[in-house]
Amino acid sequence: MTPNRREFLAVAGASLVAGYAGFNGATPRRKGPPISSAVAIVKAKSYSDDLVSRILQGVKECGLDIIGQRVLLKPNLVEYDETTCINTDVAVVAAALEAFRSLGAADVKIGEGPGHRRDTYAIAELTRYRKEIPGFDAVFTDLNRDDVSPVRKFLERDEFFFPNTALRADLIVSLAKMKTHHWAGATLSMKNFFGLVPGSIYGWPKNELHQLGIDESIVELNRVFRNTFAIVDGIVGMEGNGPIQGAPKSVGALVMGSDLAAVDATCCRIMGIDPLRVGHLTGAFEQGLGAIEEARIEQRGEAIRSVASNFELIKSKKYLRLA
Amino acid sequence: MDSTALARLRETQNADGGWGYFPGKQSWLEPTVYAAAALKGESAADRAWALLKTWQGADGGWKPAANVPLPGWGTSLCVSLAQSRGDFGEPFQQGVEWLVGTREMRPPLWQRALFRTGQFGEYRDFSIDGWPWRDGQVSWVEPNVHGIVALRQASLKQTSAKLEDRVRMAQAQLIESRCPDFGWNYGRSRTLGYALVAFEETTGLALIGLQGHADLEKSLALAETMARGTVSPLARAWLTIALKLHGREVPQSQGRIAATPEITVLALGALAEHYPEFFRMGAAATT
Repeated sequence: MTPNRREFLAVAGASLVAGYAGFNGATPRRKGPPISSAVAIVKAKSYSDDLVSRILQGVKECGLDIIGQRVLLKPNLVEYDETTCINTDVAVVAAALEAFRSLGAADVKIGEGPGHRRDTYAIAELTRYRKEIPGFDAVFTDLNRDDVSPVRKFLERDEFFFPNTALRADLIVSLAKMKTHHWAGATLSMKNFFGLVPGSIYGWPKNELHQLGIDESIVELNRVFRNTFAIVDGIVGMEGNGPIQGAPKSVGALVMGSDLAAVDATCCRIMGIDPLRVGHLTGAFEQGLGAIEEARIEQRGEAIRSVASNFELIKSKKYLRLA
Repeated sequence: MDSTALARLRETQNADGGWGYFPGKQSWLEPTVYAAAALKGESAADRAWALLKTWQGADGGWKPAANVPLPGWGTSLCVSLAQSRGDFGEPFQQGVEWLVGTREMRPPLWQRALFRTGQFGEYRDFSIDGWPWRDGQVSWVEPNVHGIVALRQASLKQTSAKLEDRVRMAQAQLIESRCPDFGWNYGRSRTLGYALVAFEETTGLALIGLQGHADLEKSLALAETMARGTVSPLARAWLTIALKLHGREVPQSQGRIAATPEITVLALGALAEHYPEFFRMGAAATT
């Protein structure tokens, strides 16, 4: 990937990191009034647990009502490597489909636009989505190749195109994977929205977002898509050189909530990452998109400490370690 | 050609003459070009070309769909399609000029210097231009290969030192980005110092862009292995085209090729089977 200035400096020298990676030692400033958000942590030891019940429990804890809504489930489906765990596990996606249908949604679809590989259906085959999600082809939309419509103003672009399936959904559920990320620090429910950007226009990889700034693009995507809910698959996450070449890391938890920044900040604390040093989280906080301070997040279900376990960080990201 | 695939293409053509990525969806340049190439000589292909010509901008670049005014890599595909049809008129000429004139993004000098010396964990020489997905971005294997193919084919009709130079640079970039396993990832061999592994579809594509090059034996051997084992019909199509253009036998598939509803893959499968010459960089492109 070709980095923008911030990313470049973040790896070019540790002394420059603090100043250019969104952390300057001061508390970030927020636009607008304080935000308080609920985040649920639900334990699940393995993918063979009753995940439908776990998801229903988390949704209830967060008070989400989806009756009559068109719901789009957006997993993190990137590429396949049988030796590690890159993608949202099929069991989580299948359980979410069943859970949201049972909650009275008018329609529940699955959509994803993988950022690296061109053959979306082949990845869905390899990750067992097509085999283990009933009627997968009928409910799935390849967001890289969907019909599109423009949205006015996206960072420095006058307009930016998005898949109609995403634009027309009443609720987008970010079914993310709990992973470290060699550029963004962590890739969770907010970063997962890179998959809403159509490759048919912006290519594979979606490097245009890197040139606009990874952190800035993540925040902007979450400004454009506001009706959201997050379920982060932390049953087995990825540590080290994520989001592709890292190692599996068992956490045994699903993290859920309507405020994606708050969900991701909670995931960071579980992973031993300081969310106040993650550029896109401070960016979301500063724009008033969500809460990231621990005191402003109402933790429901399990406590962070009951599932917390430091994720290994690559050298250029060690400054993110939670004190 | 495979009559089932061709019949499916005929029945999924949109009323405007194009094809969507999926049946019943809006027309896009990419599936339209590949379907038109697969249906070469039929009236369906003529209707497709008529539509595509309306998508060319005044600057010569082609937009990817009627409602997306962003010219980009599809220009290469249209130039190749024009040549396969023997249509060397204005759309072709302007498309070639657009391709020759596009440039990659140029990072600041100090960043280029650090990339050039590998200080950033990957080597990159920004003094050589390939083709990006969109003008002004950085290049990646797939758009780069289609730019090479289109201009190398075009050089038979409309050559210039600048055109030759662009092809030479783009091919050098492909060689430079080869992974340690001798295949290609989507465009880089390393990120932050970590070696990347080859992807099947981009390995096939890169070999198409390197027709005529020496020192590709290990890459071709890898492509044969990939063609044998892949479950992706898209990868299988690109690898088949590459191996055929390099004069190699295409091994039987040992994996279960996944079914796909995608029109692009259907059309590329037909081209791989019966018309890989669409991508040949030489006189055969117009036969």
